[in-house]
Amino acid sequence: MNITINGKETTLAENPARTVESLLEELDVAQRQYVTVELSGEILERDAFGNTPVQDGDALEFLYFMGGGR
Amino acid sequence: METPLRFDSLLVHGGLEPGPAGATSVPIVQSSAFAYETADALEDVFRGRAAGQVYTRLGNPTTEALERRLALLEGGGTAIATASGMAAITTTVMTIVRAGDEILASSSLFGGTFSLFRDTLANFGITARFVDPLDLESVRAAINDRTRLLFVETVGNPKLDVPDLPRLAEIAHQAGLPLIVDATVTTPYLADGAKLGADIVIHSTSKYINGSGTSIGGVIIDRGVFNWNTARFPHFEPFHKKYRQFAFTARARKLVHKDVGACAAPFNSFLLTEGIQTLALRMERHCSNALVLARFLTKHPKVAWVNYPGLEDAPGHGVATRLYGGRYGGLLTFGTGSKETAFRVINALRMAKNLANIGDAKTLVIHPASTICADYSLEDKALMGVCEDLVRVSVGIEAPQDIIDDFNQALDAI
Ligand SMILES: Cc1ncc(COP(=O)(O)O)c(C=O)c1O
Repeated sequence: MNITINGKETTLAENPARTVESLLEELDVAQRQYVTVELSGEILERDAFGNTPVQDGDALEFLYFMGGGR
Repeated sequence: METPLRFDSLLVHGGLEPGPAGATSVPIVQSSAFAYETADALEDVFRGRAAGQVYTRLGNPTTEALERRLALLEGGGTAIATASGMAAITTTVMTIVRAGDEILASSSLFGGTFSLFRDTLANFGITARFVDPLDLESVRAAINDRTRLLFVETVGNPKLDVPDLPRLAEIAHQAGLPLIVDATVTTPYLADGAKLGADIVIHSTSKYINGSGTSIGGVIIDRGVFNWNTARFPHFEPFHKKYRQFAFTARARKLVHKDVGACAAPFNSFLLTEGIQTLALRMERHCSNALVLARFLTKHPKVAWVNYPGLEDAPGHGVATRLYGGRYGGLLTFGTGSKETAFRVINALRMAKNLANIGDAKTLVIHPASTICADYSLEDKALMGVCEDLVRVSVGIEAPQDIIDDFNQALDAI
């Protein structure tokens, strides 16, 4: 499966159960409790991380408060 | 997620990450800026796509370790450490208000905060209204369309009034205002921000959090619970859109804290991560010593009056007991009838230091009317609860009998 993360093409193993939340864990994204996730141009509500599937072709952006992320 | 340690353990382990070579204290990263291998990697950090440090004015690994611990101690959220307590207050207020806005604040504030609100910010078109925080109806009545925040101290310094914070939180929240609480005097040991209903908690870390009077610092903890997405805060819109409940921190970090530049020094952050480990032990002793001294002073024939929230007949006793679990902090005030006798007592003290600070391990005294409040009119002093004979004591952690002996021999001088 191919997705774009922060502007970079990334290939991941197929996993139909993958959600935004599990992706954050899978990629070991820093400061997961604070990171904002933009999915294909839309900011995703934090409550929705766990039930939003990650699909082929998705573009994700992770956003931090500048300078140390918090 | 962090393991759910108890408060006393969080003081020691909270936010600690494995250090180089197995170091167990927080490393002092004394570097102004942080290098990246590639231009792309630095761009990602600047654009907020990746977590990382850029420049110590914006963030620093030592300071970040302190910030993680302080946020955990307030019941969660995110923290910004600053150069001083005043920097924390200034940064917080400037993040929230714009010219034409109003601040609603307690009238019994620390002098520096009072002057920031009344004088300094007035030059930028911001109006402060001061109300008695114990008079809930007057607080409610002072809120108008321009009000942007309610600011109170957990225990007024030096008035030692004890506002009912959960009820003030209710009033603020009904009006769509954040409750900003300066909890310097009580520290998270007496109660955390979650329990008090605070949206943003501020400390002058120069005091009890440092514990030894070795450095100046402050912190802003955004509990991430206030809804900034309302008509009162149109300027938060772009930050709320991206950062939701952490819109305040995003606006502070991306604008005010970055631009004002009142950042914490890494070495001071290190001293604070060391000092805070013993906060619970020290606060327990500050509280018990203060109660012992307050009781001693109450019985002394030369003492006209004593105010300590831990005394059963003190005005703040009821609320303090409910909010702070039977602990009343390390500050007390007393009077001996005149400025002249107050000076004689201070001059005769042998162990207690006469200086402008609180929260040190050492017992400290000051005569506020002639020092930290000297520039204020009698009316303003009355608002702040500062009368001419008032001596403020920040009771230290020495042997209680030595503190009593010191005040006993000093009172003999009058
Ligand atoms: C309650 C309170 N808030 C704020 C401050 C200001 O903190 P700082 O001296 O660290 O700027 C102080 C003491 O100075 C204080 O006692």
